[in-house]
Amino acid sequence: MQQGQRCSFLVFRLAPLACVPLLVGCVSEQSTLHPAGEDAAAIADLFWVMAAGTVVIWLIVMGITVYAVLGRKRPKTERFADRFILIGGVAFPTITLAALLIFGLALLPDWVRSDRPDLRVHITAEQYWWRVAYEMPDGSLANTANELHLPAGQTAEFVLNSTDVIHSFWIPNLGGKMDVIPGRTNLWRLKPTEAGVYRGVCAEFCGPSHALMAFPVVVHEPDGFEAWLAGEAAGVEERRGHALFVSTGCGACHAVRGTSADGAVGPDLTHFASRRTMAAGTLPIAPENLQGWLVDPSHHKPDVRMPGYASLEETERDALVSYLLNLE
Amino acid sequence: MSKDNPVIAEIRRETGSGTDLWSVIISPSIWALHFLVCYVSAAIYCQKLGRDAPLSDIRVLVIAVTVLALGGISWSSVRLWRVHDRSLTDDDFEYEHNTPEERHRFLSHVALMLCVLSAVAIIYVTIPMLYLDSCR
Ligand code: HEC
Ligand SMILES: [Cu+2]
Repeated sequence: MQQGQRCSFLVFRLAPLACVPLLVGCVSEQSTLHPAGEDAAAIADLFWVMAAGTVVIWLIVMGITVYAVLGRKRPKTERFADRFILIGGVAFPTITLAALLIFGLALLPDWVRSDRPDLRVHITAEQYWWRVAYEMPDGSLANTANELHLPAGQTAEFVLNSTDVIHSFWIPNLGGKMDVIPGRTNLWRLKPTEAGVYRGVCAEFCGPSHALMAFPVVVHEPDGFEAWLAGEAAGVEERRGHALFVSTGCGACHAVRGTSADGAVGPDLTHFASRRTMAAGTLPIAPENLQGWLVDPSHHKPDVRMPGYASLEETERDALVSYLLNLE
Repeated sequence: MSKDNPVIAEIRRETGSGTDLWSVIISPSIWALHFLVCYVSAAIYCQKLGRDAPLSDIRVLVIAVTVLALGGISWSSVRLWRVHDRSLTDDDFEYEHNTPEERHRFLSHVALMLCVLSAVAIIYVTIPMLYLDSCR
């Protein structure tokens, strides 16, 4: 390959990579640079300050480099060279890093557990989905899964636990992330400021379907949240398809509150059809996706902890799908 | 006057020939001790008193240990500074001769640089303590 060819080959190969940051910047539902929460706003500020500082330092270093190559070749004294290294190479980085350290430390959240949060949500991470349980005013827990709802302008505390391996709980638009560690309860607080729909993710590699372990985050105006939570906490009636749901064994793993299905192995499905996604942010809720999921869940999510139901009659799967789609 | 006069500077400069490795490792050792004391005491304190405990007591300890550590490093630096009398990077650096005198000066120079590094590291370890309020 000739020099020029190789060069254009490289450019063509690598050009799409250069676009990645631009693309990421465009998707605002999972971006700390489009803050919708107090912590995310602080992180975004830190990012912009550091980015600006980086540009300035880069320009200075490049300026010096260009000067060194193209500038007039006049010998400098050894003393000047020593001073130059001492100031530019020792004093400047030390002071800059200390300033950044102080700036970063000042951003650390300073709450203590005795400040009561407005809402407490228990999050349990499992390969590869999220249990979500809201603490109700009377102390009981309203169980659901794979989607998080929060009121804007209020502080939510997350009680984070894992049942298997280390995961990490991260909603970039709202704030930083917190590891979710088996055998340990980590506490984390976020204060969303703007209503909207965002995307939370697992941010610690946890297995083959790690990238398929996300959850939509819906930030409501406070009244909207109260109404949503009341609806979510309520159960549903036993509808057509319930008997099949139980007899095929789904009910042994999945709970549909208000009915006799009370399994606790997989996600609570009580209001499944009101969610925005299925299988932890993996697919949109649609009949064909549910069909495919029941035939072979591991086709959509490798290593998934749900068996396939390819052995069922097509009509039975259809009946289950319409049962699921009625769970509003 | 005496500063600029190379002859006088040469006379005032401490000359020696020791290959005193203690002077080289003393400042990193102080750094290591400081690090251990800060982290271990904070860990024990927080384990005993829980996540919400205020850090005020341990902060006093960390600041006290920092003052001690920086004092030790200053003492070592002053001693080393005498060896070559002038700037951190003295003009008369030349380590091309395999003589005891040069070895002594070279080691002292290295030790002095390590003093600077250790002092910076100790300050960096201490800064967070000024900003954290609770064990969380
Ligand atoms: C062995 C336990 C088990 C059985 C039996 C089981 N599932 Fe599941 N199911 C799971 C687990 C675990 C998940 C979560 C998978 C993931 O996302 O990682 C899941 C996920 C789902 C989801 C997506 C849930 C969500 O929150 O998006 C649906 C829908 C579902 N199962 C329906 C069924 C139906 C219908 C049956 C019966 C035909 C069934 N499951 C049987 C364990 C089970
Ligand atoms: Cu995970």
